Amino acid sequence: MKRFSKAFIIVVSLSVGIVLMSFVIDNEVSTNKNFAIKDSVTSVKAFHEVYKVLLSPRCMNCHPSGDIPLQGDDSHAHAMLPKRGVDGKGVYAMKCGNCHQSANTEGSGRPPGAPNWHLPPANMKMVFQGKSEHDLAKQIANPKTNGNKNLKQLIAHAEDGLVKWGWEPGEGRTLPPLTYDEFKKAWNTWLENGAYAPSGK
Amino acid sequence: MANQKNTASPRRSFIKTSVLAGGGLMLNFTWLSSLAETSADGPIPTSWVELGGFIRITPENIIKILNPNPDFGQNVMTSLPMIVAEELDADWKKVVVEMAPHSTKLGPQFSGGSNSVRMYWKPLREAGATARYMLMQAAAQAWGVDVSEITTNASMLYHKKSGRSATYGSFATKAASLPVPKNVKLKDVNDFKIVGNSQLNVEGKKIVTGTPLFGMDYKHEGMLIAMIEHPPAFGMKLKSYDATEALKMPGIKTVFDLTLYPDGLEQAGFDTRTFNELLVVVGKSTWEVMQARKKLKIVWTPEGDRKDTMGGRGGKTVVVVPGALETTSKQFEKMKERAMQPAKLLRKDGDPESAFKNAAQIIERTYTAPFLAHNCMEPINFFAHVTADKALLVGPLQAPGWAIPIVSKVLKMPADKIEVQMTRMGGGFGRRAYAHYLAEAALISQKANAPIKLVYTREDDMTYGIYRPMYTATYRAALDANKNLIGFHVKGGGIPEHPIHADRFPAGAIDNYLAEGWEIPTNITIGAYRAPRSNFNAAAEQSFLDELAEVMGKDPIDFRLELLKRAKEKPVGKNNDYDAARYAGVLELLKVKSGWGKPENKKYFRGVAAYFCHNSYAAHVIDIAKKNGEPYVERVTSTVDCGIVINPDAATNMVQGAVVDGIGNAFYSGLTHIDGAGQQANFNKYRIIRIHEAPKKIDVFFVDNDIDPTGLGEPPFPPVIPAVANALYKLEGKRRYMQPFGVKLLNS
Amino acid sequence: MITLTVNNKKINVDVDPDTPLLWVLREHLDLMGVKYGCGVAQCGACVVHLNGEAVRSCVTKISRAANQQVVTIEGLSEEGDHPVQKAWVELDVVQCGYCQAGQIMSAAVLLKENKNPTDADIDAAMAGNICRCGTYVRVRQAIKRAAEIQRNAK
Repeated sequence: MKRFSKAFIIVVSLSVGIVLMSFVIDNEVSTNKNFAIKDSVTSVKAFHEVYKVLLSPRCMNCHPSGDIPLQGDDSHAHAMLPKRGVDGKGVYAMKCGNCHQSANTEGSGRPPGAPNWHLPPANMKMVFQGKSEHDLAKQIANPKTNGNKNLKQLIAHAEDGLVKWGWEPGEGRTLPPLTYDEFKKAWNTWLENGAYAPSGK
Repeated sequence: MANQKNTASPRRSFIKTSVLAGGGLMLNFTWLSSLAETSADGPIPTSWVELGGFIRITPENIIKILNPNPDFGQNVMTSLPMIVAEELDADWKKVVVEMAPHSTKLGPQFSGGSNSVRMYWKPLREAGATARYMLMQAAAQAWGVDVSEITTNASMLYHKKSGRSATYGSFATKAASLPVPKNVKLKDVNDFKIVGNSQLNVEGKKIVTGTPLFGMDYKHEGMLIAMIEHPPAFGMKLKSYDATEALKMPGIKTVFDLTLYPDGLEQAGFDTRTFNELLVVVGKSTWEVMQARKKLKIVWTPEGDRKDTMGGRGGKTVVVVPGALETTSKQFEKMKERAMQPAKLLRKDGDPESAFKNAAQIIERTYTAPFLAHNCMEPINFFAHVTADKALLVGPLQAPGWAIPIVSKVLKMPADKIEVQMTRMGGGFGRRAYAHYLAEAALISQKANAPIKLVYTREDDMTYGIYRPMYTATYRAALDANKNLIGFHVKGGGIPEHPIHADRFPAGAIDNYLAEGWEIPTNITIGAYRAPRSNFNAAAEQSFLDELAEVMGKDPIDFRLELLKRAKEKPVGKNNDYDAARYAGVLELLKVKSGWGKPENKKYFRGVAAYFCHNSYAAHVIDIAKKNGEPYVERVTSTVDCGIVINPDAATNMVQGAVVDGIGNAFYSGLTHIDGAGQQANFNKYRIIRIHEAPKKIDVFFVDNDIDPTGLGEPPFPPVIPAVANALYKLEGKRRYMQPFGVKLLNS
Repeated sequence: MITLTVNNKKINVDVDPDTPLLWVLREHLDLMGVKYGCGVAQCGACVVHLNGEAVRSCVTKISRAANQQVVTIEGLSEEGDHPVQKAWVELDVVQCGYCQAGQIMSAAVLLKENKNPTDADIDAAMAGNICRCGTYVRVRQAIKRAAEIQRNAK
């Protein structure tokens, strides 16, 4: 409880700056007319939760800063160094789908799987690894860096099979710090309240 | 030089006039035969005339050569028949090569200890030369000329004076009826046409087209698949199990437990087995058996101390195998403590105690390495069909001569009722010299009353192995005030054996020398792993010599050459088991070939090391560069003295492979345990070197000489590890004392 | 009953749909060129082509191959003369040979997609195939040689 309130105070204290900043972001999502309510405090607070999930190995491992996916709870470089490739699906004999099936392969140390297993493509890398809260929120909210997703599509993205896989990652892989429902709620809250980015400082 | 006795003379195996019909024995093995020239199409042989144990000739002049030793990648399926063909003066391109069945007539048939070529060099030359001479005699008699006027070339007989010629095949039957001549003159090595010239792997085409060759590929009518559920940890045993659910699984035939060696069974040195009480699942297919294993409900219990009865030259001894559940981090601590205690004296020259007492400077360094798993690409497997009065066993193994006695003991069946066929092996590295898995397969077949193939999963293979032991060694050097080396001391130990070869370099090069060893018993099973003991000694000793040279202000190659000069000119002590001149030879060649000290190589972090084992000498310069911020062995220069090289390109391949294996082991390999349970069960945890981690270039140079062949599969492997360590030092500025260098093995 | 095309032949197999393609090929169809090495997609000994991709058959369930095209080493070429196979023989790549079918099947996909691969391309394509004998230096050379053979054939 104590920790929560502390975080809350920080959020509140930062929110003024964020509101000012966020309003000037060229952000199709935050200007979506379907949503009348914009609440930067609520939005940013939700993103703190979202961020924890995005930076957890289950999400970040396929959003690496380089062109090689990460692996394991310690997010080390994927063994055999598979490359992203143009479409994010690997190269030559090292395509993601060569090992990663449409579902997890049973047993510890076996390839996890979900339909269409891949990294973001080369022209839209959607890097999570190493990103600050501010930068990541901006990246996701901006269709130019989020894979051309508008608000509706972003909200729908929480239903994506690869995203949901994070909560059914198979034996030997820790789950993200929030439950799926908690994440989805935080994700939607963040987006529906304006997709504000936490302070860059 | 080789202290090797050929246990079987080929002459004994010359069966005089045995003509085998086309449907006879040999055709049972056709799936094990290969044409030397893969594109050659010949007539279908009508009959094989046997000319000695290793040679068959048809009237159509097709020559078949039996390869006595199983091939695990060392190329003996090609190189051993090349030796026969050379002396036979056969047309290599038309030779058919076939894997021989196990037969006491064909010699030890042992692939291991870098021994295949060494042990068969003379017998196979004699076999070829004798058969050739008999063919010449047959022609001479038929043509009414003296045998000295007959010449041969490419499977043909000639009498130049009369212009007559004939194929070997046309005289094979007659030749086979002649008395076997003795002491037939062998070729001068300078006249070799086949040996010393690169020949393609006779099984190359088969391998690249996926032809069944390996034990895993063997099929037999009615064959079932068997797997063993082992205890989860060394020191555990089966208490009870419930197979009800497993037996309900599709394809499952039976589940039973099995005792491998009865109490008091006398074990020979290579009868090591991982566990004695086994739970067996037998079913129709591999996948079904794998699934059923998951349904077994098993209670394991600590085994406690176990007694093994060991046979041997000194008679029976009973060995107590401690029952403790071992943990690697604790084993390291134990080794540290044990290293402080007195050890067994292995060799002493001069007065090392005084040398160290009077030393101006003492350098002391301790090197340590973990257990290693062989990880042959083809997991352990073997086929067995045991009936009331005989047994057929087929699969990958290195030492049939050691396998049959133990199979005979567990089956309680006379050895001559047991037939063993050796398939090609998907790697060996020493692992398949241990025949426990044949004994397991045989007992399972007997109990299941069916032909079965025993298959280990990768996890079985890795966690129930016969590992390279854990080793440690402390090296000490005493220097006088002028930095002269006046004393040398090595004290090595291991779990469960010490690694020290006390009579090897630098013994013999230093006046005051002391070697000691100590051992700590364990229930974790250990055995031969590519260049046993040498693979650690080289790493430790050659790293130490590198550091010593630096302290003494000497070039590391020159320092070794100085020591070798001393060992050659005025050797210290007796029993030095290396040839200092040959040892120096590989280093001198390496200096030239690697451009040692040349400015153009300055961009690399260079490490050098050399070693002697299996009667051969190998040295490497490892050139490290950085790739993506990580150390990367980009280039290697290797020199080897293994005497006459039979098949140069294949030999080069094997040295290149040994280099890659050495780099992989140096950086990544190690097996750890927690409470007896192996922590690496598959390649996701036990890292094997991959192509992007392998050097761009490995240049191999053989010392050119006429010495009878010495070992090759193992000798180039050990010195790779210290050469890597020494190169890493140049890169990082700190010495490495603990293997592996590239990954963290222990969490604590 | 699952129907699939293996080496251009239509085949029906009656197996549990969860059975890995590897074991169907080896034990039901007798195609022994595809090898079991690890069972967890780490070593590449089991690589076959599924619709032209170098899948690891040890983790690919037969259900995924239903009504699809599978090519194994036995079907890579009519006469064992695919440029990669030719180059492999010519450069005497193999040692024990157990991993080589997988290496060749991976290399064939690389050469289909990149007619002139560099060392870096080869490393990227082949890092999933373990060779315990350490033939990697020759694997690189043979792939370059195969590229040459492939180019010359056109």
